[in-house]
Amino acid sequence: MKVPRPYALLAEITYRCPLHCPYCSNPLNLEGGAPATLSGTDSQELAPPNNGELTTEEWKRIIRDAAALGVLQIGFSGGEPLARRDLVELIHAAREAKLYTNLITSGIGLDDYRLRALRDAGLDSIQLSFQSDESGLADEIAGARAHKRKLDVAAKIREAGIPLSLNFVIHRRNIDRLPQMIDLAEGLGAERVELANVQFYGWAFRNRASLLPTREQVDRAREIAVAEKARLAGRLDIFYVLPDYYETRPKPCLNGWGQRYLTVNPMGYVLPCPTASSAIPNLRFENVRDRDLDWIWRESESFNRFRGTEWMPEPCRSCPQKEIDFGGCRCQAALLTGNAANTDPVCEFSPNRAMVDAVLHAINTSGEHTHDWTFRTNPSALPVSG
Amino acid sequence: MHGTAISDLARPSLTKGVRLQLDATTGKNVLLYPEGIVELNETAHEILSRCDGRTLCEIISELAEEYEADSNALAADVRDTLSDLQRRKLIEFK
Repeated sequence: MKVPRPYALLAEITYRCPLHCPYCSNPLNLEGGAPATLSGTDSQELAPPNNGELTTEEWKRIIRDAAALGVLQIGFSGGEPLARRDLVELIHAAREAKLYTNLITSGIGLDDYRLRALRDAGLDSIQLSFQSDESGLADEIAGARAHKRKLDVAAKIREAGIPLSLNFVIHRRNIDRLPQMIDLAEGLGAERVELANVQFYGWAFRNRASLLPTREQVDRAREIAVAEKARLAGRLDIFYVLPDYYETRPKPCLNGWGQRYLTVNPMGYVLPCPTASSAIPNLRFENVRDRDLDWIWRESESFNRFRGTEWMPEPCRSCPQKEIDFGGCRCQAALLTGNAANTDPVCEFSPNRAMVDAVLHAINTSGEHTHDWTFRTNPSALPVSG
Repeated sequence: MHGTAISDLARPSLTKGVRLQLDATTGKNVLLYPEGIVELNETAHEILSRCDGRTLCEIISELAEEYEADSNALAADVRDTLSDLQRRKLIEFK
């Protein structure tokens, strides 16, 4: 099989984060980071990285190796990437390797000084997360007083002249506020807004019963998204991610396993997608400390296991859609059916579709919805140093 | 906006946050923007590499001269390409 070249690297440089969003897709078991202890607005208050995380030099090598493999885009994410003090240095390294650099951030800890340093290092774009359009609900979801600071950070990003996307994760508690969220993006002068219905991995999978919207909500939200996209075309780019449980065909996850994307997590594991290591525990993932990136991308068992269409069972194997949706999401198949090689149960032809329908039925028939969710916690395996 | 609605004196430029770059793997030019990559054909690249403050009229006449093409026929192609890119918010007119 001819191995394609990757286009984008997601660099999850730390799992430490000042927010506690219950829809976080990070693994529940976050090894090798230190707890974030945030007070005030000073990013220096964040705990320093500990030995579990990759070093600056290791990340620089990954960036060079990724560019040599064909990667054109890098997203710095986490956790909260600002928790790493070497972020500016890493962004500089990415620009030297001619990569388009995105920072995907909560904005907490982004002061004027750091923003200018990021811009001067060549940062191409910032994706700023918001939890809702107003502080009451937003702070409740984030599990932190963050909303007002985010508004302030958005204004500073505009002043610094860095292109801005607002990223919202959409779920039952905020989906009815889609118009207000779009207004906020417009009002803050963003170029782009991402309205991503929550996908159920990591903490979101655990909190699914409190996050999944009703069918009525989903139908209304889709109408709004379509109408607003048309109204704002050429002014504000709206990217709407569908709630896949309500679809009848699965999402074309990653445009196919090992085709376009790779992720490196804080401890150096190289993953076809950020959730693979926790969702598919019986697949062995390689680490950049043991093997070089080129070998991992081309040769490793983990990247080749679901590459192409040869691995597919029925009903995917004989399906005319198999080159379009690639059988959906391997992590979702593993989380719901216990076998990552199964057809994504979202698919109407999956023998396991009843599992998804049962979840939808429970949400759409019970009048009472639980609001209890488990907030994401920080890595706690190691004490705060210093 | 339909292609013919663009003024001859409009000055197309890449939208903030959009970068034109050579893809070393394929030797083709690409537009890079948040979460997106567009591979350009030769015509689109010839047009976009001139979107640096020149007017639409200037771009069309330069291309017509370079390719020894009829500028009326070429104008329609250039306008279509630019209005498509504008709809996708990859270029803007000043």
